[in-house]
Amino acid sequence: MTDGDWLLRAHGIARRFGAAHALEPTDVELRAGETVALIGPNGAGKSTLLSLLAGALPPSKGTLERRPGLRSGWLPQRPGHYARLTPRENLELFARLHGDGDPSGVATAALERFGLPDSGKTTGALSVGNRQRLSLAIALLGAPELLLLDEPTAALDPQQRDLLWEVALEHTRAGGTLVFATQQHEEISHAERVIELREGKVVT
Amino acid sequence: MNVIRELVRKDLLVLRRSPALAATLVLYPLLVTGLVGLVAGYANTKPRIAFVDQEGLPAQVRIGGHLFNVQRTLDRVSQNARLVPLSRGEATRELREGRVVAIITVPPDFVGDLASMVRSPTLQLETTTGGVGPRVTQQVEALVYSLNRELQDTYIETNLEYLRLIEHGGDTSFLGLKYHVLGLDGTKALLAELPGGPRLDAISAFVDQAKVALARSDGAIRATAHPIVLNRVGGHGRTWALSAQVQAYALALTITFLALVLAAGALAAERDEQVLARLTRGLASLWQVVLAKAALAVVVSLALGMALAVAFGAIIQIGGVRGGEPWVRLPLLAVGLALAGAALGALGALLGAIARDGRTASLVAVLVVLPIVFVGLVPPEVSRSAARVSDAFPFVHAVRLFTAALFDVSPWRRLGVEALWLAGLGAVYVVAARLAARRLLV
Repeated sequence: MTDGDWLLRAHGIARRFGAAHALEPTDVELRAGETVALIGPNGAGKSTLLSLLAGALPPSKGTLERRPGLRSGWLPQRPGHYARLTPRENLELFARLHGDGDPSGVATAALERFGLPDSGKTTGALSVGNRQRLSLAIALLGAPELLLLDEPTAALDPQQRDLLWEVALEHTRAGGTLVFATQQHEEISHAERVIELREGKVVT
Repeated sequence: MNVIRELVRKDLLVLRRSPALAATLVLYPLLVTGLVGLVAGYANTKPRIAFVDQEGLPAQVRIGGHLFNVQRTLDRVSQNARLVPLSRGEATRELREGRVVAIITVPPDFVGDLASMVRSPTLQLETTTGGVGPRVTQQVEALVYSLNRELQDTYIETNLEYLRLIEHGGDTSFLGLKYHVLGLDGTKALLAELPGGPRLDAISAFVDQAKVALARSDGAIRATAHPIVLNRVGGHGRTWALSAQVQAYALALTITFLALVLAAGALAAERDEQVLARLTRGLASLWQVVLAKAALAVVVSLALGMALAVAFGAIIQIGGVRGGEPWVRLPLLAVGLALAGAALGALGALLGAIARDGRTASLVAVLVVLPIVFVGLVPPEVSRSAARVSDAFPFVHAVRLFTAALFDVSPWRRLGVEALWLAGLGAVYVVAARLAARRLLV
């Protein structure tokens, strides 16, 4: 692996919410094709670190270096889509925002791939599993090289977990980079590298 | 631009999915407009004025041979005020408590002075202090004017009777004594019985001249009493409810409510649904998200504003109101609606960013709408401070712009000034909303 393989470099990034330090200054480097697990108890700073790496949250301190032109997808802990739109409408909207030329075709493919209903029912009326799969489908729009998943299986039953991991690992098999936060010890086995956090600090 | 269009389209789709919310957003401001109209209408109704009768007015008063029913005369002349007979003490107390806006006192000897036709009787007026005082004074002056006109006609009629007596002769009475007046006609008849001569001819010529002059005095006296006559032309004009002012206020109030609540709720909802962080990861900037909410307000304001204007115009046309609706001005109104919608949407986005969550944002927007509207309803001549405060909000500029767009003969200057105000306020609110929107990412 050469220096040119890096996708994302965090230099001393930290995040504070008011007086509370959610993440102490942290250095992280993500390389192409690797799978990284973020583990730690609740409040350890996993979601904060993932949000910072995803660019969804500005750091209070430190800098984040992204490889120019890097495409990344992010699945937040809570569903990041519109509850009053149908799964198809959500997918088409985000596909258009990604600049996709055929949002309808992209949405149809994603609905089939993730087994999502296309009945006109709004997303708010879907099961937790379906909502999580929709979030993942949205995260995968725009063909991301780096996929960041925040506790993707937390509210899912075993069957839905398997389905989700199948899609996530398909991404890595295709050469993509995967970073996921989890509290499920059996999921650590999917990772090549583990970063453990406690009280906002990287401990391993 | 595509990003803003996509976000607006999404918000419109979400709005369409909530028909109850959409209906409430349309009906509520119309209801408030109606209530404001009622309150304004109430303000136009007769003020309550205490009538203190220290004279002890009789039921009927004879002036110059004419009999006046006092109560009926007062009812007839007091079209703009409700006179309430009260004692001096009650009237003073009610004026202090604000239950009457003025006291009119009829002093002793009022009827005596009136009937004498020699000295003008005097009424005393006391009004409340503050904003309504000048208006009440005007209304009482109008009442006294109406009363004077009634009496003037009687006085003129009485004086003309005297002139007719001089011209034609006849019986009359003064201070209880009866007289017979020979008159010019009788004089002429007596002169005809006398032997002729130059001196008699001169007297006879004077009698003829006096008769001609007196024959013309009727119209001259009436014209002197009423140098200018106001002739009220009948016709089917706009009622107060269909007035230009009400139309402008209804439009402005409706879009103010809609734009503020929608933009505030829509921006805060992006955070509620955890989508804002996803959008700002390269799909849309915070500027674009804020501008999309202002654009949403523009689209909704335009659609609803034009629908209201067309409905209003249809009522005017169907009702056959003189002048009709200025249909040709609707494009100007559309420009005004878009500008006002943008400025109000930007203000709504600012409220949404400050409030952060959807429910709080909607509540804050509703709470903010009413003071903005009510301070905008206060006329500048009543309170300069209120006018300065309302200048900082788009509502009052929207009202002026809509009025100018629809009804001013030469609207361009006023349109330009108010459009600049709205554009300036919109720019300030957009920048403030963008700065505040950073809070939504935390």
